[in-house]
Amino acid sequence: MNPLLNREHLPLAQSYVSSNKINKGDTMKEACIKEFENYNDVVREIEICRKYGRDYTIEKGMVEKFINRLHPAQMKLKVADVIAETSSASTLRLVSENGYLPPFQAGQYVSISLEAGGIRTSRPYSISSPPNQTGYYDLTIKRVEDGLISNHLLDHVKRNDFLTCSGPTGNFYHNPLFHSRSMVCIAGGSGITPFMSMIQEIADCGLNLNVILLYGNRTLEEAIFHNRLNAISNRFNNIRYYPVLETPPKGYKGYTGFITAQLIKNAVGDPTDKTFYICGPQGIYDFCIPELTQMGVLKKKIRTEVYAPSSELITDQPGWPKNVNSDDQFKVKMNNGKTFSVRAGEPLLKSLEKNGIVVPSQCRAGQCSYCRVKIVSGKVFQPEGTPVRRSDSRFGYVHSCVSYPLENLEILI
Amino acid sequence: MSDYDVIVIGAGNGGLTAAAMLAQNGLKVLILERHNIPGGSATTFCRGRFEFEVALHQLSGLGTAEQPGPLRSLLGKLKVLEDLSFVEMTDLYRVFIPGKLDLTLPTDRAGVITTLQSRFPREKEAISKFFDLIYSYAIELYSFFRESNPSSGQFPTLKRYAFKNAKEVLDQFFTDPLLKAVLGSYWSFIGLTPDRLPFSYLAICFFGYIEMKPCHIKGGSQSLSNAILNRFLSWGGEARFNCGVKKIMVEKGSVKGVVTEQGDEIKSKFVVSNASKISTFVELLDPEYIPHEMLFDMRGRTTSPSGFCLYMGLDCEPGELGINAATNFILPDEDISGKHFNGIKTLDTKNNAVAFSCYDVADPEFSPPGTCQISLVTLKYAEPWLRLPPTQYAREKYRCAEAMILQMEKICPNVRAHIEEVEVATPLTFMHYLGTPEGSVYGFEQYMKDTLFFQAPRISSINGLFMAGGWVADCGFEPTLKSGTSAAGTILRQLK
Repeated sequence: MNPLLNREHLPLAQSYVSSNKINKGDTMKEACIKEFENYNDVVREIEICRKYGRDYTIEKGMVEKFINRLHPAQMKLKVADVIAETSSASTLRLVSENGYLPPFQAGQYVSISLEAGGIRTSRPYSISSPPNQTGYYDLTIKRVEDGLISNHLLDHVKRNDFLTCSGPTGNFYHNPLFHSRSMVCIAGGSGITPFMSMIQEIADCGLNLNVILLYGNRTLEEAIFHNRLNAISNRFNNIRYYPVLETPPKGYKGYTGFITAQLIKNAVGDPTDKTFYICGPQGIYDFCIPELTQMGVLKKKIRTEVYAPSSELITDQPGWPKNVNSDDQFKVKMNNGKTFSVRAGEPLLKSLEKNGIVVPSQCRAGQCSYCRVKIVSGKVFQPEGTPVRRSDSRFGYVHSCVSYPLENLEILI
Repeated sequence: MSDYDVIVIGAGNGGLTAAAMLAQNGLKVLILERHNIPGGSATTFCRGRFEFEVALHQLSGLGTAEQPGPLRSLLGKLKVLEDLSFVEMTDLYRVFIPGKLDLTLPTDRAGVITTLQSRFPREKEAISKFFDLIYSYAIELYSFFRESNPSSGQFPTLKRYAFKNAKEVLDQFFTDPLLKAVLGSYWSFIGLTPDRLPFSYLAICFFGYIEMKPCHIKGGSQSLSNAILNRFLSWGGEARFNCGVKKIMVEKGSVKGVVTEQGDEIKSKFVVSNASKISTFVELLDPEYIPHEMLFDMRGRTTSPSGFCLYMGLDCEPGELGINAATNFILPDEDISGKHFNGIKTLDTKNNAVAFSCYDVADPEFSPPGTCQISLVTLKYAEPWLRLPPTQYAREKYRCAEAMILQMEKICPNVRAHIEEVEVATPLTFMHYLGTPEGSVYGFEQYMKDTLFFQAPRISSINGLFMAGGWVADCGFEPTLKSGTSAAGTILRQLK
C-alpha cells in the first residue's frame, strides 16, 4: 500500500554484512546518514532490539501447526462405524486417530479423495453431524444410479478403514451477519445432510434461530433421518419438519407432490424476513428457485449449496452449440505431451482423471476454482453463471469440473 | 547438471516479476507455487455474482502514459501493460470521525491544500508549509538514493526529518488535533500509529499518491498476476501449481536446488524465494545452513500485523449509500498519540480505526451493474487469534465482523440491509493463504529502525539464494513487484 522508492542502489548504511558494501557511494551514504539528527538514538534502538529480540528458529513449524488446527490440507480419518440410515443410505462415522478434528460451520463439507475402479478422484460430502459434536464427522451417503463413488463408499468401506479427505470447507451455512434468524430449509434426498447438521446444532446448543424444513422424497422410507427429525421437531418449538412425498401412501395427510410456491406459502406463511436454503439434486434447484422468485423472495435471500447442471442434460443448457453432440469425441493434448480422446458430454475433470491426471478438486460444481486449468487452444463449454474470475477467463483458465470439450484441446496444468 | 537455471519459490508479486524478467532474458525458469493460482496477496475470489479484490487498495507508482512512474516502466519492460487497464482514483481519501469531521481530499496538491485550508482556515499557512516539506523531503530522498557521491550538506531536510516520526512533525506544524488526525490517517493502512510511523513513510505516501495518483486495476489484482504469469509462460517459463517447496538444498555454501512437498528433487544453482524471509531461512533451510547474519538481522525485527477484513457485495450502487470516495478511513477519534495502537493488538474490533475501499466509485464496471463491493479492513496482530480455541473461532469471527459493520454504519447507516454476499478474513485466514508467520501481511514492521536507511541485507551468504517480496525491504504492490526485478537483475549480472 505504501508507495516506495526505486532503490536499486541499496543496501545502505547499517548493512551489517561487509560483503554488502558494493561501492564507495554506499560508504558515502553511510557517512551522511550518521550525520542525520537522532541517528545515534535509532542505532541504539537497533542494538537493544537485537539484544532482547526474537529467535525465529524456535518457531519452526508453528505456522503449519496453527493452520492445521483449522484448515489442514489433508486428513486421514478412520471409519469408526457404518450406520445404516435407510435401505439406500448409510452414515460413515469418521474419527481422527489423534482425537482432534478441525471445527466447521454446520453445512460445510469435506472432499474425500480415493481411488475407485482404477480412477483417482474426489467427491464432496456434507458433514451431517453437528459442529458441537467434536468427536467425529458423520458423512451420510445415499446410493445413486451410476454413482461410482457413493456406491463404492457404500459397498466397500468398512469399519476401521481409513479415508483421506480435505479439511472442512464450503460456503453453505447460516451467516449471522446478514441471514435472517428465520431459516427455511428445502431439501431433496441426500440434500438433507447439511440441514441435519444445522438443525442438531440449533437444538443442542439452544441457538436463537427458527427452522422450517421441507424435505422432499419419493416415499417416507427414503427420508433419511425421518425419525430423528420428527423427534427434534416435536421437542423444540423453533424447529418444524415437514416431509414432502412424491408418491404418498393412500390416506397420507402430510404435504405431497412438488415443493411449489403454494406449498411453501402454506408451510412458511409470509416469506419476508426469512432466508431460504436449498440443497438436493439438480431438479430441486431448477424447480424451487423460480417458485421462490415468483413468491417475491429476493435472490440474495435464496442460498444454495453448490450444484452443477447434470452431465446427462448438459446439451440442454443455454449456450450449448447445436453442432456438438454429447457423444462427439475430441483429442486432448496435455503440456507433458500426453494425448487422449475425450467425450463432449463428460466434464473435462472426469476425463482427465480417467486418463490418470490428478487435478486437485473440491466442490466439483464449478464454484471453488480448485480444479482450474488453462486451455491453451480449443474451446470448452462452461454453464452460464460459472463464477470464473474475469482475468482467468481472459487468459483461458476454466473450472475443469464444469467444462465440456467442444473442440480438440491443448491443456496446461 | 541443473534442471533449471533458476527456481522461483512462490508466485506472489515478487516471485512473478523475478521469474518473468529471468525468462524474458532467456533463462530456463521454474515457478513452484503451493496454491492453485498465482498472485499471493494479489488475487481475487468469487462469491455469488461478485469477484472480490483481496489486497490492493491504492496502486502507487504508475503515473501516466506520458509521464510514466517507476511501476509503469517496470510493467512495460515485462510487456504486460497491453494486457492491463488501470483506473485512476478520484480521491486521495475520505476521513470520517463520527460527530466531528467528514472530509474528502482530492488527488492534486493544490486541491488537497485548499480543501484542508477551507476546513482549517486558522492553519492556512502551516498547511502550505507542511506540503512544501513533504515535497522537499521526498525529492531529497529520491536524489539521496540516486546520488553516487552524496554529502550531508545537500540534504538539509533529510538531515532534520529522516529520523522523526509522523506525530512529531504533525505536532510541530499544527495545533488542531482534527487536522493532525486527517493528515495522519494513512497510519490505519500501514499499521503503525503516527507516534510510531516514520515521517518518511507519511511523506512518501502523500508525495507518491499526489504525484503519480492512486490507481486500481480493471478486473482486480488477479489481472496483474495472471498477466505476468502469462508473459512468463510465453517466454518459455514453466510453473507448477499446488506444488509447495519443503526444502532448499545447499552444498558447500551454494544453492543446489529444492525439494518439493511431493518429494521431488529439482536442481538449480539459483533460487529466488518469494516466501517470507522467516520461512525461507527457518523452515526451508536445514539448521546448519541458516546464515548467522540473517538470524542476527531478523532478531531485531518484528512481524507486521495481519488483518481482519470483510469483503462485502452490496446490492446497490455506492451513491445510494452516500459512498463517494474510493478510499475511506473511519477513525474513532482524533487521537494520534498511539492510543489506537492497542486496537491492533486486541482480538476485539470494537471502536477500531477501519479503512474501506469501494472500487466501484472509480470504476463502475468493477462489480455487476446495480451493485458494488466494499473491502472493510482493520489491521490486527494474529496473537490473540492464535490463542483462541478453534471451537470458538467461528463465533469470534462473526462477533468481530459484527463490530466492523457497526463501525461502517456510522458512515453508511443502511449498509447491512444491502449485503448480498459477505466473506470474513481473520489473521488466521491470511496465515492460511499466505503462509506467513502470524499471518503478517506486510512482512517485517517498518519502524524507524527498520526502514529506508537501515536496510536488511538483501544478499545472503548462501551463493545463489535470493529473496523477493514484502519481507525483503518495504511492502505493498509497487515495492514487492520491484523486489522481484531487483533480484532478477542481480542474478543476470552474476551470470554475465
